[in-house]
Amino acid sequence: MPLQQVAFRCMVVAALCLARGPLRAGGPPFPPNQIEFFETRVRPVLAGTCQKCHGGATHKGGLRLDSRDAALKGGDSGAAVVPGSPEASPMIEAINYRGLEMPPTGKLRPREIEALVEWVKMGAPWPKENAKSASPSRADFTITEEDRRYWAFQPIGHPQPPAVRGQGWAANPIDTFILAQLDAKGVSPNPPAEPRMLIRRVFFDLIGLPPTPEEVDAFVGNPSDETYSSLIDNLLSRKEYGERWGRHWLDVTRFAQTNGYERDAEKPESWRYRDYVINAFNADKPYDRFIVEQLAGDELDEPTAESIIATGFYRLGIWDDEPDNQAAAAWDEVDEMVRTTGAAFLGLTLGCARCHNHMFDPIPQEDYYRFAAFFRNVEPYGKAASRTHLATNDAGIFTPVATAAEFEAWKSRRVELAPQIASVETKLAKLPKGAKRSERQRVIGELARLKQQQDASLEKALSVRECGPPLRETRVLIRGNVATPGKRVEPRFLAILGGKAPAAIPVSFTVQARKHSLKPMLAEYGLQPTMGLRRELAKWIADKDNPLTARVMVNRIWQEYFGRGIVRSADNFGRAGVPPTHPELLAWLARDFVDGGWRVKRMHKRILLSKAYRMSSAATNQKGLALDADNDLFWRQNLRRLDAEAIRDSMLAVSGRLNPATGGRGVFPPLSKDVLATQSRPGFGWGQSSVEEQSRRSVYIYLKRTLMVPFFETFDYTNTAESVGTRPVTTVAPQALLLLNSEFADSQARHLAQRIRREAGDVTIRQIERLFRVTLGRAPTAREAKIATELLKRKPGSDGAADPLQSLCLVVLNLNEFVYLD
Amino acid sequence: MSDGRNQPRTPASGFCGRTRREFFWEAGAGFTGVALTALLDRDGFFSGRAGAGVTPPGRSLDRPLAPIPAPFPAKAKRCIFLFMYGGPSQMDLFDYKPELQKRHGKTVNVEVRRGYVVPQTLLASKRRFAQHGQSGQWCSDALPCIAGQMDKLAVIKSLQMDSFAHASALIQMNSGRVLQGHPCLGAWVNYGLGTLNENLPGFVVMLDPRGGPIAGAANWMSGYMPAAYQGTVLRSTGQPILNLAPASRIDGDWQRAQVQTINALNAEHLASRPGYSELQARISAYELAFQLQSTAPEALDLSLETRATQELYGLHDSKPPHKLSLGSGPFGRQCLIARRLIERGVRFVQIYHGGGHNDENWDAHSNVDNNLQIHCPEIDKPIAGLLTDLEQRGLLDETLVIWGGEFGRQAVSQQSLGRDHNPKGFTYWMAGGGIKPGISYGETDEIGHEAAVNRRHIRDLHATILHAMGFDHRKLSFFHNGLNQRLTGVTEAEPIHEILT
Repeated sequence: MPLQQVAFRCMVVAALCLARGPLRAGGPPFPPNQIEFFETRVRPVLAGTCQKCHGGATHKGGLRLDSRDAALKGGDSGAAVVPGSPEASPMIEAINYRGLEMPPTGKLRPREIEALVEWVKMGAPWPKENAKSASPSRADFTITEEDRRYWAFQPIGHPQPPAVRGQGWAANPIDTFILAQLDAKGVSPNPPAEPRMLIRRVFFDLIGLPPTPEEVDAFVGNPSDETYSSLIDNLLSRKEYGERWGRHWLDVTRFAQTNGYERDAEKPESWRYRDYVINAFNADKPYDRFIVEQLAGDELDEPTAESIIATGFYRLGIWDDEPDNQAAAAWDEVDEMVRTTGAAFLGLTLGCARCHNHMFDPIPQEDYYRFAAFFRNVEPYGKAASRTHLATNDAGIFTPVATAAEFEAWKSRRVELAPQIASVETKLAKLPKGAKRSERQRVIGELARLKQQQDASLEKALSVRECGPPLRETRVLIRGNVATPGKRVEPRFLAILGGKAPAAIPVSFTVQARKHSLKPMLAEYGLQPTMGLRRELAKWIADKDNPLTARVMVNRIWQEYFGRGIVRSADNFGRAGVPPTHPELLAWLARDFVDGGWRVKRMHKRILLSKAYRMSSAATNQKGLALDADNDLFWRQNLRRLDAEAIRDSMLAVSGRLNPATGGRGVFPPLSKDVLATQSRPGFGWGQSSVEEQSRRSVYIYLKRTLMVPFFETFDYTNTAESVGTRPVTTVAPQALLLLNSEFADSQARHLAQRIRREAGDVTIRQIERLFRVTLGRAPTAREAKIATELLKRKPGSDGAADPLQSLCLVVLNLNEFVYLD
Repeated sequence: MSDGRNQPRTPASGFCGRTRREFFWEAGAGFTGVALTALLDRDGFFSGRAGAGVTPPGRSLDRPLAPIPAPFPAKAKRCIFLFMYGGPSQMDLFDYKPELQKRHGKTVNVEVRRGYVVPQTLLASKRRFAQHGQSGQWCSDALPCIAGQMDKLAVIKSLQMDSFAHASALIQMNSGRVLQGHPCLGAWVNYGLGTLNENLPGFVVMLDPRGGPIAGAANWMSGYMPAAYQGTVLRSTGQPILNLAPASRIDGDWQRAQVQTINALNAEHLASRPGYSELQARISAYELAFQLQSTAPEALDLSLETRATQELYGLHDSKPPHKLSLGSGPFGRQCLIARRLIERGVRFVQIYHGGGHNDENWDAHSNVDNNLQIHCPEIDKPIAGLLTDLEQRGLLDETLVIWGGEFGRQAVSQQSLGRDHNPKGFTYWMAGGGIKPGISYGETDEIGHEAAVNRRHIRDLHATILHAMGFDHRKLSFFHNGLNQRLTGVTEAEPIHEILT
């Protein structure tokens, strides 16, 4: 049973955590602060210097310094370390160059010597080395048969829909899989949802907006399978579809437009990635191609502006421009790429193996670093600007995405400006060392202006770039610590999935260019050849035989239609996740997805045409409730609350204010002074947009990591710090406050009231009727009309401040029916 | 209600014999009372803690956010965290270093940024130190009122953390990691203990009138936990909570009519959809939201306090001489509000003292003594008043009070009279529930630069805070990304038992 399995695993974690506590051989454990001291001050010295000759395979003088026991045991000349007694420890003598002189390459720094002395004085604390977690050695980690038999690593195969009794119910094979389990439990599926509920469901699910009353009428008047099918086609062809589904993908790729931390600076051009994703969904870009573009769009045979923009994928994460430790921060950036790639495409928690072998899944620590090695030559987001600060690495993260004509213009402007730029550069170089700061700044500014002038018309994308061959070395970091590099590894695919080495061919931008190719421009602009590794990784992930990729994606799609995935832990297909309720159905969908050319729209239609999707969400089947309260079997649809964007967008849609404009940097809804006051520089980094702009769809709202729009935050928006496959759904009083009292709600209610007056005139009952149809897609019942009439009877305020109709409009925008989908 | 740990669980047997839907009926939906849909459960949210005996024990599926007792008998039932943003200078306030005074002007090699060791000039403190009370704990003349409270405090002088930079240091002090995206301490406590008063947030944050801290809301976020656990910013003037009053000019009577209409229409809707308790939860949320509009302002209404109490917190003191100092009024009001909030069941109150940049907070780069003259008078009387008031009302035994910033400051000078950031040795103090009064723990080196005796990482401080509130830091966990995540992370941590009762 899933719950119990997960629970059991948690106990295992707890047990492992305890077992990993530091132990003195046969004695009490060392206190944590001493272990901390060892890890931060001592291990880096041992690993960085001493172990080169006294660790791993080499042990000069028979001495090893890679474990406490070995250090105590010592080498040919006896113990190296006498715990508690630096004076009696030959190692301490040697590092002080008394007698032996170690290391022979040069004396350690005083601080390092101090640390080792202190460490010996403490009694040479050393954490109990869990063989698995501390040693980078592959030999310690065996992938077992059981690992290989794990469901998610099985080939997708060609699952056949089961034979079922109630075949007549099934509209397609999806239903057969569902029905087989229902039959086994003797639970019957719910009847179909009422057409007016179904059309609302399918509108929100596909485009995130409510149907108009006219659209509802048309469908309810003829709810045939044919009408339904063409309705789906119609919705899939609307640009709002990409805005809805692109947003789901943006959660997965932790999209935001700023870096986070103190300055929380903008990631310039990041909006292009958002627009790329929306367009990709609208264009029904095959998912395998979509993967390849995001991971290796620059390494395609013929990169396009689109494919370059797609690689912005790598640049979307949080980034600290003032990290405490720049070397560690550089690795954090690679780690972020590894974790996001693992979660987004493979449903794996690769990050767990950064410091030790994965606790649950057959992913040894080495695999993590082999995976990271694919990204080794990626230019970092920042470059050192000072000892403490990083500056955006402009030359390493932007790529021009100009047309051929724009590029030609750029080239001639470059020629034109070359003498000026050269002369200013010379001026800068010749500035005397003691030149005034202001003078230096002036020249630097002049140079920047010229370069800006040169590049003015050249559109750029936030993108991946590489530093050029050779491939940088990747070493396993012992305990994930940059100061303790271990064994060297090469890029390789995950061992559990074959573990092959990639056959990467470096990609140069200067060769094999077709006419109108982007490549010559990229070469001219200074793009270094890439290692071609990411392309291999992308191809491996997007391979039809990769058992995870298609399963993970169809599960994500399924989740949006049923409120939960077949695998409930959409980002974790590993053992600590939740097993699929319908593994064969998942495999069948994955096979169908792959064989259908990885077409997402086709998959939508498959699912939407199933009877399972079209079922009513009524939770009244007593047998279903008794046997399967959680609806594990899908005997009914799930009632679902709309997400933040859908709630906001529907308010705009029904008020008539929704601005359908697409794309661009993003819009800035007004934030109250109180919200801005949470910043250390109130208002910093927040722009202004016109009222029309503010009324655009939520997907176009500018996403600033440390200043989230309250509407989003209150309604369980995604956590932009990492890949998120499933948003939590909470119900709290601040949501009610927001929909009752906020400026936004007030303003939409006012516009809605104006619209209702315009469309229904002044007769109360017609206003109520129209209001219900516009917002809820149906006429009010007699009782509802009576309740609504009571409110409309209130006396309006003399200054027009309190308008009963506006009040009723606000009421309806607050109804459960407005924010929940049947 | 049993906590469910020993119950066999199958989907059919449900949760104590009830369906998942049914338990939501009882879940309520208060300010922090969350009716979590099954989605969370699917993500392993509940699965990770129910049944496994991992935490919080007693947090069963049946009552996802009801107040629950801490797993261990705890002295502290709530917490007030006085966050001195910018990093107050330990060697000018609590960490007396005679050797530093003697060696003023001498050159020493110190690490001023990670791995960057340079010769620097020692800067003595201009403050005069004395021992106070029966405990004889040191406190400088910068904080004369707090000096009178030293017998209540446990002062930890040997803390270390991992960052020389404000943003990552603030984030680590709050969430245990230097990387953004993890739940903060207040969120952990909110999650672990639930709420005692549904009409108020369980975790309240108050900010300095000069602005928020660097990285803003990232400091009180709930990270991968549901947003319901994050801090709610409460303002001591104007509208206390966002959207508490209607944007349109309608009166309470009118608004009552609106909410009644919503309720009546929602009841119609609910009647045709039995079995979905989230719909009921959302109806409750409206009722609570309506009530909040009166309960929240009441909690903030300091006119209900006696003149004597107001004076105790320095609400009527004249402004100190320094022209940049706000005086004790603003922080005093926040401290008094904090007391009123915890009296009303709020679990965790965090007040940021200092906002914006540089001398708007404790970030004394240019002139440390000048900075102290701005800020010490702002906090001194309010904090002493808070401790006294809590004690007089018998609340101190159940309230954990924490004082400190994101790091400390250097023993050497910067721009001749200032001090730079220092994560290698700094001071925190705690008082109240679960804390031994009147003791010092740990020492920095002779110049006050680096923790030397009993050095403790801040994860030990976090473990100590959790311990005082009744948690084993190893067991208070949240299942996420395939792992039971903890505030203290994967590195071993240990509470500072020496200061715990």
